[in-house]
Amino acid sequence: MNTATGFIKALESGTKHIVLKRFTLRYPEEKLKFVGDGYQFDPKKGVGIAGTRGRHILFHDKCTGCQLCAIACEGIAEAITMVKVDEQWKQNKKSIMPQIDYGKCVFCGLCVDACPFYALYMTNDYELSSFTKSHLIYTPSQLAVKPKYDGEVEIKIGSRGAYHG
Amino acid sequence: MTSLEEKIDEAKRLSLQITKETDDDRLMTLSVGPQHPGSGHFRFTIKLDGDYIVFVDPDPGYVHRGHEKMCEYRNHFQNIPHLERPVIHDSCNITYAYSLAVEDLVGITVPRRGQFIRALASELSRLSYTLYWLAIYGIFLGHSTMFMWPAGDRELLIDLLERLSGARVTNAFNIPGGVRNDIPYNFKEKCLAQVNYFEKRLKEYDNIFYNNPLVRQRTEGVGILTKEDAIKLGVTGSVLRASGVPFDVRKVEPYDVYNEIDFNVQYMKTCDSFARAYVPVLDMRESCHIIRQLLDKMPESGDVREKLQFNIKSSPGETYKRVESGRGALGYHVVSDGTPKPYRVKASVGSFRNLLALPFLLTGSKLGDMPAIYWSLNYWPVEADR
Repeated sequence: MNTATGFIKALESGTKHIVLKRFTLRYPEEKLKFVGDGYQFDPKKGVGIAGTRGRHILFHDKCTGCQLCAIACEGIAEAITMVKVDEQWKQNKKSIMPQIDYGKCVFCGLCVDACPFYALYMTNDYELSSFTKSHLIYTPSQLAVKPKYDGEVEIKIGSRGAYHG
Repeated sequence: MTSLEEKIDEAKRLSLQITKETDDDRLMTLSVGPQHPGSGHFRFTIKLDGDYIVFVDPDPGYVHRGHEKMCEYRNHFQNIPHLERPVIHDSCNITYAYSLAVEDLVGITVPRRGQFIRALASELSRLSYTLYWLAIYGIFLGHSTMFMWPAGDRELLIDLLERLSGARVTNAFNIPGGVRNDIPYNFKEKCLAQVNYFEKRLKEYDNIFYNNPLVRQRTEGVGILTKEDAIKLGVTGSVLRASGVPFDVRKVEPYDVYNEIDFNVQYMKTCDSFARAYVPVLDMRESCHIIRQLLDKMPESGDVREKLQFNIKSSPGETYKRVESGRGALGYHVVSDGTPKPYRVKASVGSFRNLLALPFLLTGSKLGDMPAIYWSLNYWPVEADR
């Protein structure tokens, strides 16, 4: 290939994109749609269920305060500490539940794999930024809230290239 | 062509000369990195005689975090999230090698469907790493379109990895015993469509970058690493294949399901910077081909994970397992003394081995050729420092 055709081909492949669809995701207005409601784990089968690993959700009626999630997190991020809660549950004699520091969490999800009582899952909520460090620490009552996530944009491939739509 | 010994002698002679003549105004010392836009967390000092580089002193270690030592205080599962940190774009391949080593120590085999899924995740991971590397190579040569296109197309593969594993880059997906979860509903069609589209995009990369006369003039015939020198220096991965050695761990020592997959080892014989920049693209085409076969041959149902205890104890012994990562052969040597924690973990990474070729290639070349040579080595500073 000589120099002239090389330049012409390079220019052509670049200028072609003026008429093609834009691939960029316009983030705060549009949000990606995820698979399912977040990463979950089935201790009976020993296999996880595919989903996004965002912030956790804690089911207070199932948590027994066994600390297995905190033990799994030791040596990874040390983000989980067990704290005392005011609630009285039959299965939770010590009344302790995990509190997660999202300044430290690496979102590996090994705490979810460790929970044998279906009490700790992960959700699609990944927008956790805050103005202070202390706001990143989520107490058991904050973790119990189911987040609202309404992303509905997916990567689609059409005749005019790939786009988010 | 001078041989390796002659060039090393020449470099030694020059370095002796330089240390004697430090006051000489003729030579200029130039520090490249660690804040140079293309160098990564890595610095090297070069001495210039006019426009020619006469002496190179690489100075790695800026991002050393001792993760081999960290492994000794954690069990095999807890090691996974921090082992993948050096190259988060290629995380599935790093954890693949470690998982293979631990499975060998514990003495289990992964279910067949699990083997296919983790090979699939590793190929997606390799593609996304190679695109990131290509984006930096493009901007290092001053071609800003070649920075934006791979960085944008990487989203196609990151999206697939996110559907599969739940995280965009630090996947923590391959663990000892298999994979964390089964593939989600509707994944096969989505994966096939996006990988096919991505393969079409690779042709456009050829038009705008690799067949661009300016890029060809800057890279062709620059930084020649002959076959003999490459073998003697011990380089690996795309750098070795660009020097005409068809070496790929997936072909030489097939692990898991790679002996059932039909693919070619892509290599070039021109031995220059252009070959080292183009071999990864040929590899990406092969990876797309492998992904289609993996999706086709994957069993419809079955277990994906051999269930292991969190504190699994392995029998005393040692093992070494390696895989082909985006940067070449990547191996883990794991020594166990029978406790849940490994006694010693040693990583053999492609980046550090390719770094050894850097002083050899740069000595005697022009300063303007430095970017074209340096980043063509497929060198990732964080992985070399570990």
